[in-house]
Amino acid sequence: MYRYERVPHGAPSGELAQLVQRVEAGMDRGLLPVEVFCDPTVFRAEMERIFGSTWVFVAHDSEIPKTGDYVLRKIGIDTVIVARDEQGQVNVMLNHCRHRGSEVCHEDRGNTKHFKCPYHGWTYNIKGEFAGAPHFGEAYGQPLDRKAWGLRRAPQVDSIHGFIFACLDPLTPPLREALGDAVKVLDAIFGLHPKGMRAIAPPERFTVKADWKSGAENFCGDAYHVSTAHVSAGLSEFIPDVRQVSAIARGLDLGNANSFIAHELTQWGPMFEYWAYPREVVEQFDFSSLDPALREMIRTSPPTIGTIFPNFSYLRFPQPAVAGGRPYPFTSIRMWQPVSPGVMELWNWQFEYACVDEATTKESYLAGVYGFGSGGIFEQDDTAVWEGIAKAASSPWNRRDGVMLHYQQKRVEPSGEWKGPGRFYDNIYGERLQEGFWRRWVKEMKGGAARPICIHEEKAQGACGGDK
Amino acid sequence: MSNRLPTSTEGVSRLELTLIAQEFLAIEAKLLDERRFRDWYALLDDEIVYHVPLRQARLAFADEVPDGAYRILDSKKHIETRIKRLESGAAWAETPPSRTLRMVGSLFVEVGDRPDVLVAESAMLMYRQRGHDERGDVIPVRRRDQLRLTPAGVRLLRRDALITEAVLTTPNLGVFL
Repeated sequence: MYRYERVPHGAPSGELAQLVQRVEAGMDRGLLPVEVFCDPTVFRAEMERIFGSTWVFVAHDSEIPKTGDYVLRKIGIDTVIVARDEQGQVNVMLNHCRHRGSEVCHEDRGNTKHFKCPYHGWTYNIKGEFAGAPHFGEAYGQPLDRKAWGLRRAPQVDSIHGFIFACLDPLTPPLREALGDAVKVLDAIFGLHPKGMRAIAPPERFTVKADWKSGAENFCGDAYHVSTAHVSAGLSEFIPDVRQVSAIARGLDLGNANSFIAHELTQWGPMFEYWAYPREVVEQFDFSSLDPALREMIRTSPPTIGTIFPNFSYLRFPQPAVAGGRPYPFTSIRMWQPVSPGVMELWNWQFEYACVDEATTKESYLAGVYGFGSGGIFEQDDTAVWEGIAKAASSPWNRRDGVMLHYQQKRVEPSGEWKGPGRFYDNIYGERLQEGFWRRWVKEMKGGAARPICIHEEKAQGACGGDK
Repeated sequence: MSNRLPTSTEGVSRLELTLIAQEFLAIEAKLLDERRFRDWYALLDDEIVYHVPLRQARLAFADEVPDGAYRILDSKKHIETRIKRLESGAAWAETPPSRTLRMVGSLFVEVGDRPDVLVAESAMLMYRQRGHDERGDVIPVRRRDQLRLTPAGVRLLRRDALITEAVLTTPNLGVFL
């Protein structure tokens, strides 16, 4: 039932501005006001200022390979159709009819030539253009502008290594520019074979009673939790040395809250080079276009966990598909989908390189799901401990006294020897990457406040009587 | 289970097969509700496949379960790890353990592909109260089970547990369906 709590409109902006100010000032001292993890005003502002202006992952090319293929996805709390048109272009459209607002797409995925509204029958083509309506001559007399009365379209759509992102703000810089140095790391993670990666199955979805930022922040740089939160993985003899994993964790900060945890896996032996991909897979990889420092990094200490702001996270770790099996580096892509204050849906995809054989792909899928699905040996622990954060955030006692959470681990300096993009940290302690997440959050929350409410020109809205 | 139970479905009445399945499912539900995981584990066939498929919103029922997509696909070894985890004292999703009630109904049986296998399809509603002060969740599941009739008693050989929901509302599958 908590899924269906209404999201109230924001409180007067002064209060929100004060809170954002407290977050900014708090970070200067390694402190974070606890209420950011469950607050209706914060949530509403995030939907507008963060999810309304940043690049948000919506789908992978391999999920919609053919003309007419579509999937239903989320940008913040808006439902969007992601569809491939006859030219092979991807269109990201708001799933609401322009006539009265009813939903026009009713399936999580499919293939179609058009979307027809069930209310009055307004129909749109695969690009979202208005394509017709019943009794058209009698009801309307003259043609409607196909584009002006088409479904609302994301003004920017772009992809990197097949990962399709959409941005609802035409003024936001293009995807690669917005990603900055993170592009080079994504090249080293997803660009190792010309055929690229593919989604093995549709995303698994489950409701978690924790705020979306708890997941995003954790994947930004929290390797510290592993030896406590995931100790059961060791006690159950699934990953016997799980408590030692944090000791080989490193940090890679690409700026703008795009950051990764890396693990120096080769400390466990040479078979752990390149995430422990089997030799027959590594032999197919092409490292020639990679940044030289990253090329060496993925051999010994590859990025294993990371977040691209706001809610796209990555996980590739060598883990057996069953206790006692060989560690296989599954690739999980997850989104922390905001639902309401303190509640999210976790969407978890498993990916594999398209060049990997069928049996190994199945092993990869099983390993990822067994570790990080809704029944995952690891995943259950994370989401369970995050629930408490949302409760702490709504605590009247905490709020009355302006309680701040502790982000004061000893800040380590970045490595002076790192020649690659961003800043490299030889150990993961220091909470700098989490600090980076909150700095970016402040920037977007402030920037959104500065942006004037944009009243679209009447012509763009398809107003009657103009010179069409 | 008594040793007098048949080890083949041949010549056994539908009524008796139904009662065999009903008793097995009822005992199993009680063992899991009381968290007697090792006793439940003893009822699993060594070859067990425990499968929880994904489900999507589609117009046609036949399209709802995508090929090869699942939330859980466990062998006996996987289940053993899950039980060890639950016994570890550090399985935070089940700390404290959920209080559960499994309600099994709408049972019907068919004979399986092998004479020693009985197919039992049932609906199961699990009420689950997690944590110490959480509102309870309901997990609705339609299960298709293969029950193997052995001299030692009935063993669960395969379970396909189709959760009714496309987006799971209980926050994890830390409980057996």
